[in-house]
Amino acid sequence: MSSALSKDRHLHAPVPADGDTLPGRSGPVVVLDGISKSYGPSRVNDGIHLSIHPGEVLGLVGANGAGKSTLMRILCGVTQPDEGTLAIAGTPVEFGSHSPREARARGIRIVHQELSLCTNLTVAENFFLESPDHGGRSPVWRPRYRALARRGIEAVFPNSGIAPDAVVGDLTLGQRQMVEIARAASDPALRLLILDEPTSSLDSERGAQLHAFIRRRARDGVSFIFISHKLREVLDVVASVVVMRNGRVVREGPAAGFTIHALVELMGGDGERRGRRTGGVPDGSARQDAVPLLRIGGQATAPLGRSIDVAAGTVLGLAGLEGAGQKELLHRIRACAAGGRDPDLTCTAQAGFVSGDRQREGVFALWDVLRNMTIAEVARRRFTALLSPGAEREAAERWAGQLRLAPERLPSRLLDLSGGNQQKALVARALLPGFDIVLLDDPMRGVDIGAKHDFYRVIREAADAGRLVVWLSTEDVELLECDRVLVFQNGAIVRDLEGEDISEDSIVGSAFQSEASGRSAPAPAAAGPIAAKPEASNWTAGLVSLMPLASLALVAGALGWLNPSAASLFGVDLLLSSAVPLVLIALAQMVIVGGSQVDLGIGAYAGLVNVISATILVEQPALGAALLAAVLAGYSLLGAVIERRRIPAIVVTLGASFIWLGCGFTLQAAPGGSSPDWLAAAFGWQLPGLPTAAVMVVLAGLCGLLVDRSRLGVVLRAFGNNGHALVQAGWSPLRHSVLRYLVAGLFATAAGLSMTAITTASDINAGSSFTLLSIAAVVIGGCRLVGGVTAPAGVVAGAVTLSLIGSLLSFLDISTDYNAAVQGLLLIGILALRTMIDRKETEA
Amino acid sequence: MRTLLTWTDKRPWAWSLLGILILWLVLGILTARFSVQSLSGVMTTAAFLLFPALGQMLVVTTGRGNIDLSIPSVITLSAFLSVNIVGGSDQMLPLGLLAVLGTGLAVGLLNALLVLVLRIPAMIATLATGYVLATATMLANRSASGFQISPILTWLTSGRVASVPVIVIVALLATGLCALMLKWTVFGRVLSAVGQNQRAAAFAGIPVGRVVTTTFVASAMIAALTGTLLSARAGGAFLDMGSPFLLQSVGAVVLGGTLIFGGSATAAGTLFGSVLLVLIVTTMQIAGLPGGTQEIIQGVVIIAVLAFAGDARSRGSA
Repeated sequence: MSSALSKDRHLHAPVPADGDTLPGRSGPVVVLDGISKSYGPSRVNDGIHLSIHPGEVLGLVGANGAGKSTLMRILCGVTQPDEGTLAIAGTPVEFGSHSPREARARGIRIVHQELSLCTNLTVAENFFLESPDHGGRSPVWRPRYRALARRGIEAVFPNSGIAPDAVVGDLTLGQRQMVEIARAASDPALRLLILDEPTSSLDSERGAQLHAFIRRRARDGVSFIFISHKLREVLDVVASVVVMRNGRVVREGPAAGFTIHALVELMGGDGERRGRRTGGVPDGSARQDAVPLLRIGGQATAPLGRSIDVAAGTVLGLAGLEGAGQKELLHRIRACAAGGRDPDLTCTAQAGFVSGDRQREGVFALWDVLRNMTIAEVARRRFTALLSPGAEREAAERWAGQLRLAPERLPSRLLDLSGGNQQKALVARALLPGFDIVLLDDPMRGVDIGAKHDFYRVIREAADAGRLVVWLSTEDVELLECDRVLVFQNGAIVRDLEGEDISEDSIVGSAFQSEASGRSAPAPAAAGPIAAKPEASNWTAGLVSLMPLASLALVAGALGWLNPSAASLFGVDLLLSSAVPLVLIALAQMVIVGGSQVDLGIGAYAGLVNVISATILVEQPALGAALLAAVLAGYSLLGAVIERRRIPAIVVTLGASFIWLGCGFTLQAAPGGSSPDWLAAAFGWQLPGLPTAAVMVVLAGLCGLLVDRSRLGVVLRAFGNNGHALVQAGWSPLRHSVLRYLVAGLFATAAGLSMTAITTASDINAGSSFTLLSIAAVVIGGCRLVGGVTAPAGVVAGAVTLSLIGSLLSFLDISTDYNAAVQGLLLIGILALRTMIDRKETEA
Repeated sequence: MRTLLTWTDKRPWAWSLLGILILWLVLGILTARFSVQSLSGVMTTAAFLLFPALGQMLVVTTGRGNIDLSIPSVITLSAFLSVNIVGGSDQMLPLGLLAVLGTGLAVGLLNALLVLVLRIPAMIATLATGYVLATATMLANRSASGFQISPILTWLTSGRVASVPVIVIVALLATGLCALMLKWTVFGRVLSAVGQNQRAAAFAGIPVGRVVTTTFVASAMIAALTGTLLSARAGGAFLDMGSPFLLQSVGAVVLGGTLIFGGSATAAGTLFGSVLLVLIVTTMQIAGLPGGTQEIIQGVVIIAVLAFAGDARSRGSA
């Protein structure tokens, strides 16, 4: 115990004023030792040792797939290593107890490369998610976090101009990155801050502010791990460097001892620097005569002033800074080759496609290697054609041979292969059908060097066999393998390099052409559209938020016009009293939809509450209350089942709806019952001059608003937007899934009670019709079915509108037979409208 | 034990078959009246569940939480249509079938349009279509006529060949055909691809929209035919006729071992799942459980199986 104390004191010991030298006297903040981690056959971390001292700024560099991210995930408690030890401030830490939450409690914070902000929340609310204890217990918590956010951002990025109440989704990419960094850096317990590619979207001024901040805090004793592909920046900022390659640390030492060239060589870059291929040049003349397979013109080549013809037998590279338009063009070529029309492109052949994003765009996880390889070939045939396993196997074995993939791997699951071999199978998929064009979307991302050389050879062979290979690469060295390179800037082609003109300098030079400061260019192409976006979304958001109120006014107006007595106090009360249960159920559904789920049993659940409260609660109040609590607990349990077992909420809630109906039917086979006196009284009061039902509706809406704006409400919405980030921040998904269903269950219980009070009877089938209506109300109200975006006021307006439509139809003498159709069509219509608005928005 | 688990991993239908055998054995011992004879009754009821369940299976296999909730409404509407149009005569049967299949085609196309073009989640799109169809059914109900059944339909639904019910033979044929299609045709292969990874499927050149549309159309058309058969068996049509099929079509698919996440389907499993579900319901009826309890148990069984299957899946991918 005493030793731990002394170490603690050690940590807070003053650090040398000069942050650039390693403070040798105090013990390290963090020591990782012997860390190893394997995913299947590939060993991504192999016996790594890493220690960081207080006030040290450590640069961690390595190529993609070198194991940096895995190591950082282990340090932050996201991933468990297979072997190794961790000590924080001299105290050994069990990996079993080292969760993301624990890591944060121990002062270790990370700013991820893929941002972990919730785009549906404000800047201040995002600050709350990271430090929920800052605000104390007070119900008025927002002002504290507004101040925290303002202070935190100002400390790192002075004069940022980011308002704490701005919704993160409306900020530019660079601003989001600033918020992300400031949020982690503002943690008072901070000891070690890991920055993973922190400046990828920042301009040079903001980058300099960050560098200054790092130096300042390092002098206070905070340690940093700085991960970046911008090697010059790394050498500028850090005091010491650790170079990783293939899961191992290959070199470490003071930054002064490294040059950029040395770093590149250590990382396993183009150390051998193979010269430009010359063997294929004799084919060049033949290539000129060949029929062009692809013509690019129009807007895409406007800066060039001429269109580009590409013939068969060419390896065509697409280069440029990230987001300069090369990826869009590649996908446009794909669509064009599949028969689509494109104003800028003419494409006379079919194309195969290989993506570097294997998980999302390549892999069929349930299948073996063989079926993964042959699917593109199979897909060319008629649906009704029979498969021919013999021919499939033969073709797959041939290509496996070409790519040096052992044929005995063909029957194993694709995911059991190493990354490089998986990618080989996907390349084979694109080559196997014999398409004249092969499109490559940065296919070598995270692939080992051996596999890369096999690719280069196969790509060359494909071109020599008369195919056109279009190759988007983010590694400039790879572009040297191409016969021709198109360089992109601001969404168009600015250079067309051929043969000897292709060099790293010429490519980089063209990509940065208009940049004043050469190397440190941000992504200027992105700035334009992103800066314009808030305006567009404000406009459509305004329209969407007006929709529920406008439709309510429309329906209410029509009702008053058709039947003036409807506008009387009594009329309003009568019309709205049937709306109260729907408003409450819709609010319950809103809570569920906020988590990107839908409850198909919520109406049945309210019906069950209706039955219990009109029967047992009347005769035996204690037993009735206990039953209601038990049912509510059962309902909350659904949240646990859905989260723990990862099964679709629709199916679970559909199954549950039969349980609710069955329970209700068992309790009360035919409609009947009565309302408990206290319940009738609770709904039967009257304020002079005000329709009771209207007051009820408003009260329900206020409850919804309160829940939505509460801390819990913010967390629930955050889970609907970016659950992954919340888990990283230490929030329990299981607990909040249960809480989500508990909150929804409370609203639905209130709905069931209101049904009893208003109808003074119960019917188990009475609730079921509310299910679809509640979904419709939620959608009309402006919530998103994908989750995260909720709007209590809109939902209330939507629910009232929907319930008034029933009255409207009867005023119009339309048979109730049509009610269902009107509701269904209304829902379809609203969702269709929403989709069209969204489409406009993305086009704008 | 481990080899058993890998064996069942490849044959997801094995669990439901095991369930059938155990339940049947227990029933045989407990009641003594449970015999081959009563099994044929169970099989007949299961056959009517099997058809819509096969359609549901295809839709579920396209992944992304796709599900067809309009099946009950299609069944009810087409039951009314066939009662009204066929009216007990074989001459009118072709016209009736045409109308029923046309309805199925239209509903399937509408569902696919809502899901693919308007990007409405399948469960909400099909739920909404179901509501529209419910109104159509009520209108058809106004002109509902007679309880005459066409002889051909009678033979199909109640006839026997060598003491085996015709409908059971049809069900077995349909299962075989479906299994063949899933395993040996291009459609089966691309369907699985779409269900596993829609983006990758599109990039591999698979016409994703056509695959998804095909499944919705197939599901709606099969449901429509089921409605005709059901009306023949029940001797008429009534509102709520299709309601049990909402949960049961999903239940049979899930019990059979088809992945609820999409990408992997088994026709044999859906057959066994249908039989198992009907067997469970029959058992409850023999045991004299009230209707409410029966519904509770069905709901619990399906959630429990889903929870178990979710577990099995995480084991498989770990």
